[in-house]
Amino acid sequence: MAIIEAEELTYTYPVGEKPAFRDVNLKIEEGEFVIITGPSGCGKTTLCRCFNGLIPHFYGGKLEGEIRVCGLNVKEHPTYEIAQHVGMVFQNPENQLFALSVEKDVAFGLENLGVPRKEIRKRIDWALKITGTYNLKNRPPYELSGGQQQRAAIASVLAMNPDVMVLDEPTSFLDPVGAEKIFEVIGRLNREMSMTIILVEHMLDLVSRYADRIIVMHDGRIMMNGDPREVLVSEEARLVGIGIPKATMLYKILKHRGISLNRPPLYSEEACQVIREALSR
Amino acid sequence: MSVFDGFKFRSISSPIHQLDPRAKFVYVCVLFAVAIMFNNIIPLLILFLIQIPIVFMAKVQKEWMRSMKGSAVFAIMIFAVNLLSLYFYAGHETFTSILERSLAMTVRFIVLVQSFSIFFLTTSPDMLGLALEQSGVPYELCFAFTTAVRFVPVLAEEAQTIIDAQKSRGLEIESGNFLRRIRNYIPILIPLIVNAIRRSLELAETMESRAWGACENRTNLYVLKIKTNDLLLILFSLLLLTVSIYVSIHVYIPPLTSLLM
Ligand SMILES: Nc1ncnc2c1ncn2[C@@H]1O[C@H](COP(=O)(O)OP(=O)(O)O)[C@@H](O)[C@H]1O
Ligand SMILES: [Mg+2]
Repeated sequence: MAIIEAEELTYTYPVGEKPAFRDVNLKIEEGEFVIITGPSGCGKTTLCRCFNGLIPHFYGGKLEGEIRVCGLNVKEHPTYEIAQHVGMVFQNPENQLFALSVEKDVAFGLENLGVPRKEIRKRIDWALKITGTYNLKNRPPYELSGGQQQRAAIASVLAMNPDVMVLDEPTSFLDPVGAEKIFEVIGRLNREMSMTIILVEHMLDLVSRYADRIIVMHDGRIMMNGDPREVLVSEEARLVGIGIPKATMLYKILKHRGISLNRPPLYSEEACQVIREALSR
Repeated sequence: MSVFDGFKFRSISSPIHQLDPRAKFVYVCVLFAVAIMFNNIIPLLILFLIQIPIVFMAKVQKEWMRSMKGSAVFAIMIFAVNLLSLYFYAGHETFTSILERSLAMTVRFIVLVQSFSIFFLTTSPDMLGLALEQSGVPYELCFAFTTAVRFVPVLAEEAQTIIDAQKSRGLEIESGNFLRRIRNYIPILIPLIVNAIRRSLELAETMESRAWGACENRTNLYVLKIKTNDLLLILFSLLLLTVSIYVSIHVYIPPLTSLLM
């Protein structure tokens, strides 16, 4: 059974006239790494909010169609229940940490769930170590860099041990180095713990290598949904204006000039490799 | 650095920092009560002096000095007002006794500021929130308190950014008369407030996503326990209170000037 399943899902905000997205059909399997991309305003954030019940419970509005997450009907279960299965990391790292130390922030979700103190301690250390923030344990969040804050936010979600982690443009406030670290952490969660990852991202250069699937949204609809290489070389993707990796662009340019490589590369190291293969042929 | 740094918590490890906020609160209350009890300068000076070793034990001399310096202006004002009013309304007193009483009022003010400063310099807002929570204040209120404290530096930085941005567009803040100056702050306040509202919505969203309100008996990572040192401080405070009450009722306290002469 799919871990997230949406059927003919349409949502309109209370203040909106037209739906933020409509007729979304989507299946995400356990252990998958899925990237959602598309021009801004196309409804990515709105869709993510449905995955943990912020829509409809926090935002109100009109949610039509069906959505099930980990077997729970989102419309019928409160956010705090779904939050135990789906962890959510938001865009702005600053507004996701509200305690006076990283440790206390990571504890927050577990405290809310009434987990015993000893168990909380164990899980804090575990989550901090995986995200590489153990040395920041006692620091106040406002002293940290954006990248450190975002990793602390990931740790806070991770400590709750969710089945799915949804990250909505987690790197848009970060520098490239900070972003790369975040992607490494997410990639590791997916590979080593087979955690299901849904990542909304514009900059596909650094991250498409981790993905099992890329979903392209445009104007409130899912436009493409498939294998990263197929999606990224397609003409539609270019026309919508998504951030196609430079390595993949190179492939397309070479192909246009009559040089065909074995497969479309997603990142520079892979590009080097396929070019070498082509040269030695 | 401003006067507020004389009250802002610094995370240092010292025996005073490790005290239970509730014990420190009892101490501050007793100090307040005792300071109000006496009009004479000698007991007030003693109160001032008792606290100095505490300042050193807490290793917050520098910050404490800042709070003292910051309150100097008010202290001088209090002194002047007392001196003038006593001079004009209590005609039969000698000038030295008026001087001494005005000084006493000033020392009282300094003692109050000092004990406040020590309390806030050595008590982390987290612990303070926890103390409130364990004293039966609803969790939502305690959470609001610690979150507000956490966002003070963030908002201060944001305000500075907005001020710089508006200045670079030609806004003159320090010009014109009083009303004009207040009006000048509107272009700063509006973006600040709009941002704060947006921020609080995002915070609420995050809280929901971390299972806020999932169960009645939420755990707390930390618990406060009264330790030996806390008991000693409470005992000392109660002793101070009893002695002060006794002295204020039964003992005549001579004015300082009569001792000096
Ligand atoms: N809180 C909200 N209230 C009303 N309308 C919203 C809200 N958030 C987003 N929208 C609208 O929904 C549409 C999709 O926005 P969003 O999901 O944020 O897109 P994306 O994340 O892809 O940039 C936009 O037209 C936007 O104006
Ligand atoms: Mg968005």
